[in-house]
Amino acid sequence: MDINTLRIILLVLCFGAFIGIVWWAYGGKRKQRFEEAGRLPFNEHKLTTGNHQPKD
Amino acid sequence: MSNTTKSTTTGFYNYRVVRQFSIATVIWGLIGMLVGVLIAAELTWPDISMDIPWLSYGRLRPLHTNAVIFAFGGSALFATSYYVVQRTCGVRLFGGALVGFTFWGWQLVIVAAAITLPLGMTQGKEYAELIWPIDLLIAAVWIAYAVVFFGTIVKRRTPHIYVANWFYGGFILTVAVLHIVNSAVIPVSLTQSYPVYSGVQDAMVQWWYGHNAVGFFLTAGFLGMMYYFIPKQAQRPIYSYRLSIVHFWALIFTYMWAGPHHLHYTALPDWAQSLGMVFSLILLAPSWGGMINGVMTLSGAWHKLRTDPILKFLIVSLSFYGMSTFEGPMMSIKTVNALSHYTDWTIGHVHSGALGWVGLISMGSIYYLLPRLYGREQMYSMKLIEVHFWMATIGIVLYIASMWIAGVMQGLMWRATNADGTLTYAFIESIKATFPYYVIRLTGGALYTVGMIIMTYNMLMTIRQGQTTEAAIPGPVTTPASAATA
Repeated sequence: MDINTLRIILLVLCFGAFIGIVWWAYGGKRKQRFEEAGRLPFNEHKLTTGNHQPKD
Repeated sequence: MSNTTKSTTTGFYNYRVVRQFSIATVIWGLIGMLVGVLIAAELTWPDISMDIPWLSYGRLRPLHTNAVIFAFGGSALFATSYYVVQRTCGVRLFGGALVGFTFWGWQLVIVAAAITLPLGMTQGKEYAELIWPIDLLIAAVWIAYAVVFFGTIVKRRTPHIYVANWFYGGFILTVAVLHIVNSAVIPVSLTQSYPVYSGVQDAMVQWWYGHNAVGFFLTAGFLGMMYYFIPKQAQRPIYSYRLSIVHFWALIFTYMWAGPHHLHYTALPDWAQSLGMVFSLILLAPSWGGMINGVMTLSGAWHKLRTDPILKFLIVSLSFYGMSTFEGPMMSIKTVNALSHYTDWTIGHVHSGALGWVGLISMGSIYYLLPRLYGREQMYSMKLIEVHFWMATIGIVLYIASMWIAGVMQGLMWRATNADGTLTYAFIESIKATFPYYVIRLTGGALYTVGMIIMTYNMLMTIRQGQTTEAAIPGPVTTPASAATA
């Protein structure tokens, strides 16, 4: 098989994968889940207890 | 070494290594910028190097680029990635003694660079100048970094890997591949070696490395900072988490192919040049998508920008990111490149990204970190952060505006021809015409560096008045659903 055919197949596969990722990211079923993921840096804070203890 | 014994027995985050890298960021930043000011002065008044070889422009220029990119930028990336990955995974850093090795190993690389480059020991590859023994040490440190970072992700107690970690992870993985491939050489002595590639392949490997150093070292890692520190400082979640996923993958799929735009009108095959140009143009989309995602996080809370100097650093860094990622694709267009290449326009473009984007977001993130690492509510002086911000911003504007004008002027002078086909200007005439812009550039760079001196003072006073603190790792992690209701 011609090397260029392989290159074209790879390009199309990569593009397809990217479209798949966009579909996955914006799928309605996962909206809630990603909104929760976005709050991750804030949940960490609430969970922290006994902060600021000197050490070393 | 204390990391080894405490890592599994205590319930504390490893803040020690974050402190070490944060201080290193500020100190190396200051030194790297001072060298930058020196070489800007050398370009303006060449005689000031006094013919001392160690102070010659050709040797100090790689010292400047290595110091600001790998010592300043690198330390900022280590500091913030170690902080963010622990806090968002809810576990202490993985790796025990390896963590300390990444800090001391990286410092050793920097010191070795600071010794070898002024001595004239170089591989001659831009941003990959360091000689092969140092390259080996870099590879060892980087692999240790990957083990620590990904090890921490593996043992995380949160179900999801937060997007900032995706960007940090992509940066770590890609830089490992880039560094190892581009540094493949055949040593002939302790200080000399020859690349395994030759001719145009060597040039292409170099700029595949060089542009992805921009794309992954200077972009993806700092986008990791953006996705953590902007939401934290603005106290609201990222504008669109779903956009951040698309942002990440779009960047990953396109950045790798942009390198050939550094080799327009060279021996590189024409199709490869066009490919590089097309992918550089496509890059505008993910770059601006990411920028908009960061800026819009402030939507509904714009007033915070008026009063919070740290937020100013973080958000203005994004506007410079937007500017330079618009300018970059434009400059990759072959006909534009025919004018801009080899002129100071390129230098202006690089610095709008480096001073504006990388510098400001690192400074903002370090200002966020320092009080938390030293048990204080805030930095020693918020007023001085404000002063730093304005000095830095005015400095950048002076720098990039003067280099734009100088660059376009140089490009036009070099291509100007008389009716009989002879060149209108001798090269030296373009240098003479550039002189005033070099003075303005020097002023801008000096202002930016004075801002860094203020930051160093502010950091030292914060450390003096604070004390090292360790944050406890929270108890059993609740599920995101129950945490949200808490």
